[in-house]
Amino acid sequence: MRLFSRVSNAVLGAEKRVVTVLAAALVLLILLNIVTRAAGAAIFWVDELAIYTMIWMAMIGASVMLRMRTAIAVTLVTDFLPQGIRRAAVRLVDAILLGFAITLLVLCWQWYDPVALIQSGFDLDVFAENTFKFIYTEPTNTVGIRKFWIWLAVPVMAVGMTIHAVANLLEGPVTE
Amino acid sequence: MTIAVFVLLLILGVPIAFVLLGTALAYIEISGNDVLFASVAQQLFSGIEQYGLMAIPLFMLAGEIMNRGGLMRRLIGLASIFVAGLRGGLAYINLLANMMMASIMGSATAQIAIMTQAMVPEMERAGYRRDFAAATTAAGGLLAPIIPPSMLFVIYGVLGQIAIGDLFIAGIVPGLLLTSGFIVVVAVLGIVHDFPQGQWLTRREMLRAAVRGLPSTAVPIVIVGGILLGIFSPTESAAAAALAAFLIGRFVHKELDLREFPDMLLSTAVNSTLVLFLIATANVFGWAIIFEEVPQRLTLWLTEFSSDPFVFMLLVNAALLVIGAFIDSIAALIIVVPLLLPIAQGSYGIDPFHFGVVVCINLVLGILTPPVGAGLFISATLAKVKPGRIFVALWPFLVVTIAVLVLLSWQPWLVTMVVR
Repeated sequence: MRLFSRVSNAVLGAEKRVVTVLAAALVLLILLNIVTRAAGAAIFWVDELAIYTMIWMAMIGASVMLRMRTAIAVTLVTDFLPQGIRRAAVRLVDAILLGFAITLLVLCWQWYDPVALIQSGFDLDVFAENTFKFIYTEPTNTVGIRKFWIWLAVPVMAVGMTIHAVANLLEGPVTE
Repeated sequence: MTIAVFVLLLILGVPIAFVLLGTALAYIEISGNDVLFASVAQQLFSGIEQYGLMAIPLFMLAGEIMNRGGLMRRLIGLASIFVAGLRGGLAYINLLANMMMASIMGSATAQIAIMTQAMVPEMERAGYRRDFAAATTAAGGLLAPIIPPSMLFVIYGVLGQIAIGDLFIAGIVPGLLLTSGFIVVVAVLGIVHDFPQGQWLTRREMLRAAVRGLPSTAVPIVIVGGILLGIFSPTESAAAAALAAFLIGRFVHKELDLREFPDMLLSTAVNSTLVLFLIATANVFGWAIIFEEVPQRLTLWLTEFSSDPFVFMLLVNAALLVIGAFIDSIAALIIVVPLLLPIAQGSYGIDPFHFGVVVCINLVLGILTPPVGAGLFISATLAKVKPGRIFVALWPFLVVTIAVLVLLSWQPWLVTMVVR
């Protein structure tokens, strides 16, 4: 139990640092866009990169949110329950969230299908032929790398969420 | 069946974003449409792959910088030149402070919580009754949805695929109506309940407040001016506002400590995630409601009931008041707009700007509406007053807001005349 809390907190610390950097990058990219456009030398890939920056920030932020229990929820009903039942409800919610996190993780695994990728010898075109999945062939519009690198935000989030959900469940409700 | 899952998860207190995700997963499982599982993860991503959404973290950052760089305080000081001496002067200032805070919060209930803790003790010290102090603070949040930079407008614009800048413009007349209504309420309440008489600043104090406050006005000017004149997109105006706030806080007021920056960026990221992740999960949730043919059934039911747009708007208002009472305004907006906007436009020919302004004001009203409005209870708990007593002080604000909503629903040109 201690171990999971420690791992989860270490991951949380790293996630917080990453979203901080991403938030800074986001504002700098948009400012860069304003400046270069005003100077008549707009850089065409900045907008798309900025959007990806925001998405990574939001996905990793969602994992942070799960650990910190800050997500918006309707607590109107549970707030009126006696404390014992309320704690049970929190535990149940934690268990449900763990279920969702694991589901997401499984879905990401199927999406990226790493086993088939290895079997294709990391040849992305062979992978597409073998599996009829085109995840690895989809390009980005302007950034110049394949989109699956960018999509990695979702599996990264799912991993973080799973770790945090286990820790939350084991630690139980925060005592008031 | 899927609806049962939705309601159950919601009542249990599962975070709303996960309620939407869970409902979508349940829908796929129940309907046997297993192929959809393969694209859930990708749909989460593409749900927020939108240029306009970047305005949310950027406006939040601008607000954070204004707050910590001392710009907010000086703007409030500037405003107090005009209202400090009035009966209930602090109440007006409270309304204004709330409007400004709205730009950095991802949740209306969180805003009520923070502002109640900040403003109620101060008003009490100045001689206001605590229940009135709490009520004005809560009411201040009602102005937030229509004053730029409004999070609700940014989200509505993205969901409804309409220009966010134009939406800000469409909110001008309703904003003026609502603000003047609130000013009248505070004035009347001040007389009826004998609010403390404020004290005008001395001429020297006025001059000082003006000189200190003036540079800070650059930030709202950048936002509103940049959008109105078409120099910036709302996203860019948000980044420019953050830069302006940084320069003023750092070099004019010299209050901004660079060591605080990581902390500000972190709270920007965390607060905007509350909203962005909701939009991401709403994208998968959209499948469930589309495949269950909820929109079609709703359209049929509504159009059979009445073909009059005004009646439709009144129905929508009534329904949203109930929804808004349970669910935080931004989350509610994300859930209902994809459902109702197509009906409003397609079956009733309602202008999307008109619809958006009404919906956004309405959803904030819901959280203060008894018997269940979450905002009312938060305000009561933090101010340590019974919810009933806050409501006694709050109802004139609610009545004014409802009156404005009915007026706007009835006369669309109040919104649409300034657009295009």
